[in-house]
Amino acid sequence: MEDLGKLIPRTIGDWRASGNDQLYDPKTIYDYMDGGAEVYLAFDFRRLLARKYVGPEEREISLDIFDMGSPEEAYGILSCDREDPPAGIGQDSTYGFGLLRFRQGRYFVSVMAADEDERAGRAALEIGRVAAKALGPPGPAPDMVGLLPGEGLRPDRTSYFHANVSLNNRHFLASENILGLDRTTDCAFAEYDAGSGKPAYLLLIRYPGAEPAAAARRSFLSTYAPEADPEGLAPTENKTWVLAALRDRYLIIVLESPSRDRALELAASVAIPAK
Amino acid sequence: MTPPLTRRDFLKGTTVVLFGASLGAGQDVPAAKKTRVVLVRHRDVLDDNSAVNPDILQGMLDEAVTRLLDESDPVKAFGKLVKPGETVGIKSNVWSYLPTPRELESAIQKRLVDAGVAADRIGIDDHTVASNPLFVNATSLINTRPLRTHYLAGMSGCIKNYIMFAPSQEALHPDSCADLGSVFKLPIVKDKTRLNILCALTPQFHGRGPHHFSRRYVWSYKGLIVGQDPVAVDTIGLRLIMAKRREVLGPDQELPPVPKHIQLADTRHGIGTSDLNAIELIKTGWDEDILI
Repeated sequence: MEDLGKLIPRTIGDWRASGNDQLYDPKTIYDYMDGGAEVYLAFDFRRLLARKYVGPEEREISLDIFDMGSPEEAYGILSCDREDPPAGIGQDSTYGFGLLRFRQGRYFVSVMAADEDERAGRAALEIGRVAAKALGPPGPAPDMVGLLPGEGLRPDRTSYFHANVSLNNRHFLASENILGLDRTTDCAFAEYDAGSGKPAYLLLIRYPGAEPAAAARRSFLSTYAPEADPEGLAPTENKTWVLAALRDRYLIIVLESPSRDRALELAASVAIPAK
Repeated sequence: MTPPLTRRDFLKGTTVVLFGASLGAGQDVPAAKKTRVVLVRHRDVLDDNSAVNPDILQGMLDEAVTRLLDESDPVKAFGKLVKPGETVGIKSNVWSYLPTPRELESAIQKRLVDAGVAADRIGIDDHTVASNPLFVNATSLINTRPLRTHYLAGMSGCIKNYIMFAPSQEALHPDSCADLGSVFKLPIVKDKTRLNILCALTPQFHGRGPHHFSRRYVWSYKGLIVGQDPVAVDTIGLRLIMAKRREVLGPDQELPPVPKHIQLADTRHGIGTSDLNAIELIKTGWDEDILI
């Protein structure tokens, strides 16, 4: 990461790096961020390079480059927060109100202008473009994303993660970890056009084995849908359907499906790999 | 054991007991036994650039504390909280994006001095409170910080503000910071908190990016939430955050995941009340867009 810092110019346009680059690891990241560290620790976060740029009128832009260990993990961290439109920087990106987020290879990058005026926003984008060139080749998306049914899928609303904290920030399910999610589980969360203006959701979870997957299904149904039929289907209070289906070590949960049949169809369309 | 709160509980409307009961609707606890919390607001406490008017803020603090303690004079009210000869720590918050306003620290400090506490025996600190002699030797604490959402704990309020007193902050992170309330039982803190002031001048109702901050999710509410019970104060703060999230982000995102530490501070650690039916909320001042 130290070498990475040398590859990114300390002066970009009217903006100059202020002070030395700061490096953090999983033990020290709490020193740098309050409230955000767990976002990264829920993935395979390795190291962080943090640099401040100071520009006209002493305005500040933060450049944070996270080594997430693999392109899949970098995809994950970006995918869990997609409120803004793409910015065309790096492999995949979002930008809005002074905050640029993008991924390139195993790196996830955040460039944030403390003041969200147009000038600082343009500078944040430029700093991001320059930094992206130093981050090496692109990398693949997680294989879990490729298992999702394609029809009706909203790619810009698809997330990949491991832990319950990530799920609940993406889509609140329960105050407890009723699905037994942790660093050993891989999750893909997707939205599907349901024709009603509101999306249906599909949560695909891969457990280390079939038994923990079955236990998670039991836990989910007993907590979330105790009235479910033997197929794991139940109507919900807002006139939608929930489904929990088990296929080997994969648990497929459909939420807020507009119909029973659509829930079953979505679950059946998941491309679970043959053993 | 409390069953997990699920998304479906929201659909069923069964979350009212936990997070959504209508304030003032609860009739089962006599008013005299309720925990009092004061929400005070003033339209002009912030200017168009969010600069704080210190005189108005002082007046808001005075109004809140006098209403809280049924006193007519703010100095007498503070005199009920602290005595001359005491050492008092003001536990503030220095988070760079949204710190406790200096004007609020100064307003508290002024009234402590007015009440007879020597200026050199008043400490204001955040990150080093556990080793700061003015806090180690404090006989009273004043707890103040801004109201905001937190990625892990759901909400940062008066309960979470004391995490800096803990020997290990990391040890309090599991399970959405469920056991933050335990900090209030540490010897350096226990039974010393006289006042909790949750600064809602510019609360943050949602977070983005690595630092969980974006100015677009901060709004000028121009209020203070004040009480002697940190759990009750945070319970009101959470209601405000939920109301704003519902208004801006929609009902699906009403609850910031997952502020369980507030309820558990009550039910598991017994340091205050999170039962809205047992909280008497007094609202005073500007009431436009009050939300709660």
